[in-house]
Amino acid sequence: MKTLTLFFYVIFFMFSCLFSCTQETSQEFASHENKKIFYFSRTIDPKTFDPQAQFDVSSGDFVSSIYDTLISYHYLKRPYELTPSLLESMPEKSKDGLTLTFKIRQGIHFHDNDCFLNGKGRELIADDVIYTIKRFADSRVNTLSWFLLDDLVEGLDEYREDLKKNKDTHYDKFSISGIKKISSHSLSIKLKRDNPLALYAFASSSLSIVPREAVEKYGRKFNTTPVGTGPFILKEFNKKQTAILIKNPNYFMTYPKEGSKKDAELGFLSDAGKKLPLLDEVHIDFIPEAQPAMLKFKQGEIFWIGLDRDNFTQMAYREKDGSIALKDSWSDKYSLYQEPGLSSVYLVLNLKDKTLGKNKDLRKALAYTIDFEDKINLLNNGRAQKLHSIVPQTIWGSEDEIGNYGYDFNLSKAKEYLAKAGYPEGKNLPPLTLTLQGSSSSHRDYFEYLRNAFSKIGVTLKPDYQTWSSFLKATERGDFQLASSAWQADYPDPENFFLLFYGPNKPPGQNSSSFSNKEYDSLYEQMRFMPNSPKRLEIITRMAKILQDEVPVIYDSSPVISGLTQKWVKNFKRNMMISKPFKFLDIDKNLKDKILAKSH
Amino acid sequence: MLTYVIRRLLYMIPTLVGVAFLTFILFTIFGEDPVRVALGNHASEQAIRDLSEMWGLNKPYWLQFYDFLIQILTFNYGESFSSGDRLSEIFARGALVSLSLTAPPFFVGIFLNITIAMLIAYYRGSIVDRLSTILFVISMSISYLVYIIVLQYVLAYQLNWFPIQGYKSGLASIEFLLLPWLIIVLVSMGPDIRIYRTVFLDQTKADYIRTARAKGVSEQRIMSVHLLKNAMIPILTNTIISIPFLIMGAFVMERYFSIPGIGDITITAINEGDFPIIKAMTMMSAVLFAFFNLLTDLLYAVVDPRIKLS
Repeated sequence: MKTLTLFFYVIFFMFSCLFSCTQETSQEFASHENKKIFYFSRTIDPKTFDPQAQFDVSSGDFVSSIYDTLISYHYLKRPYELTPSLLESMPEKSKDGLTLTFKIRQGIHFHDNDCFLNGKGRELIADDVIYTIKRFADSRVNTLSWFLLDDLVEGLDEYREDLKKNKDTHYDKFSISGIKKISSHSLSIKLKRDNPLALYAFASSSLSIVPREAVEKYGRKFNTTPVGTGPFILKEFNKKQTAILIKNPNYFMTYPKEGSKKDAELGFLSDAGKKLPLLDEVHIDFIPEAQPAMLKFKQGEIFWIGLDRDNFTQMAYREKDGSIALKDSWSDKYSLYQEPGLSSVYLVLNLKDKTLGKNKDLRKALAYTIDFEDKINLLNNGRAQKLHSIVPQTIWGSEDEIGNYGYDFNLSKAKEYLAKAGYPEGKNLPPLTLTLQGSSSSHRDYFEYLRNAFSKIGVTLKPDYQTWSSFLKATERGDFQLASSAWQADYPDPENFFLLFYGPNKPPGQNSSSFSNKEYDSLYEQMRFMPNSPKRLEIITRMAKILQDEVPVIYDSSPVISGLTQKWVKNFKRNMMISKPFKFLDIDKNLKDKILAKSH
Repeated sequence: MLTYVIRRLLYMIPTLVGVAFLTFILFTIFGEDPVRVALGNHASEQAIRDLSEMWGLNKPYWLQFYDFLIQILTFNYGESFSSGDRLSEIFARGALVSLSLTAPPFFVGIFLNITIAMLIAYYRGSIVDRLSTILFVISMSISYLVYIIVLQYVLAYQLNWFPIQGYKSGLASIEFLLLPWLIIVLVSMGPDIRIYRTVFLDQTKADYIRTARAKGVSEQRIMSVHLLKNAMIPILTNTIISIPFLIMGAFVMERYFSIPGIGDITITAINEGDFPIIKAMTMMSAVLFAFFNLLTDLLYAVVDPRIKLS
């Protein structure tokens, strides 16, 4: 009996402790009331805060909040547009288009840190930019994002080789012929060829400017001790638990003044010209699973969350006109956002394959067979846009500008082309194999959908589920028949998508279909480094027509990204090139208190 | 005894080499290529070569396996591919967190489940016994994940009794661990009480219990001294063999409550193709299981002097 009594005492103690602890949490939450704190969650924590060593989404999000790049993307403008960040103005181009002159803004300081004299942040100068580019070229530091400047700047590839051969970390020992310091705040970079796309590289978080002092002082620990010029300073980071970013009071940037009429109507310009950042702190919890993150969001402890398929079904619905809205029970509390993504999803047809390669009619038959609108509704909750060209609709040069160059679902045409191909009703056609880059339920659903679609014209489809790396290897070897693939824009330019069918990019390059067409290649070479113009659009249209005629690809869709923010979050406009726009966000504290008081 | 221990330790060597070989084959030859996972679809041949060289994956397979064996012998598994952190630091950090999650409910569970099983065995055949049998069979049939999802939703979200997820170092962690502890105890009740009840029932039919009763020994003493001591062997096996799980963490629990223990580290490593962590985890599990198996056998002799180790 004594033992039982003791047991109940233990249980009582545990519950007393529990309630005292829960109370403490509420008090803790309330103690931050005077500050504007944005609460957010991520599924995985950053691998490193070292700009040059990272190239994963999570690390990139932190790097872009702590550091700055020379150029960035305009927060509000669409289509996406580059804008100067650390620079006074966009780089000036020489007459031959080869030399870019970068003028750095005066008076930008790094965060205060022990690595500087007296711990006071030093002013950012041209030497820091040169040092950063040299560090970016060091293959021991950067193995992941070198492709951004590969074969672009005069002398930089040689410099990378010199460092590698000599195993040297003294970056000043070797020079880069194409990079010259002009003054304390300006430098010039000579490109190997006139290439307007080069500027996109300088907007990548991998080319965020780092101070030499911090790299040298912290050495290996620089990956956890970031020192930048950015809007936030890393105050605390507990691996797999939390990260806290605090406001950089000396940040130089102001909220953008330019935006569309709709932006003004939606209140995105109400803070125009205000000093950034508008938040005092950003608290990030690392929550690997979707359910606890969504529960925290519903409790008001997270301010912004992506909407997965299950939660979408539970919380949102599609209107008759196809638009998406939140159900009444949620619409008072949350705002729903949707933004077309910058990626294309498609099926690659391997032209080296005996069955598909020499039979254009068979490829056309397959293209007519799939009802992608139906597939989007069924498998993507309608959260995708059907593609009629390789370029997603958010990027200049898409079907919005050039028109429809895809194949719309038409079973009778599919059967007609199949007969023309020599396989009436699919007779004598050997089963086709679809290679997929995973074996999750979504991959299996996708395969089942296609198998069912193809069976309607008598074509048998078999799955070949691969792991991600095996899929990459298979497509690089050209060892597949049909492959389910996708391409995410590295920069918002149609060139980044048309390169997928450029002859010299054949496997192991990005042209997985092994498509080869002299006219297409020559048009690609013409448009590659051309600024956007009616002439460029004309070339793009012709390229899209060639792809439509030759069918090396069947266009599926471009995903639409959707999510929820709490009603009290201000200035939230989803920008696919600035994945975490914390510096522009603000909180309406009165509204927050009102909503939370009501819900409690 | 010493000869027995040495012999058992020697038996472990081929077992562990076998585990190492299988792990190596599974992850090196059939698993994801970590270089490609890290580089994605931008990878140039040069970048693939550079990273493979940096991670030692350009060496012939036999040499990579040899390096792996050396790592096992020296307990130096190197660094994580994805974060660059030393594995010894990662494990030291993660093991303590996992223990703080699993150890308290483990001990509470032992005490609670033995007590309840004894009570049920005492009231065998009664309505309490029948109801509890039905209840525990149902509870055993429900997936671990369902407990987590439902209790997290009801107790943490709807009733707001516990934080939904999170973790803080030191004593502050208790606040976040209470709900996971409660779930672990609840989940352990069904299977453990069923086993212990059967063990106790077997013992209650034994001659020595009848003799004790005939001698006038009180029921409380029979249950807590005579019966408990004789029921210890199966209980001990069940308990000790669970200890490696305490250190290796509760995989699903750690994921759902964002507890940065070994289980969470392992799942993340599998998702990211972080081979050094996977290798080290597999080998550590194997070593711990082998060690605790041996410990169980040794403890048999302590609990029951009739058992001789030879």
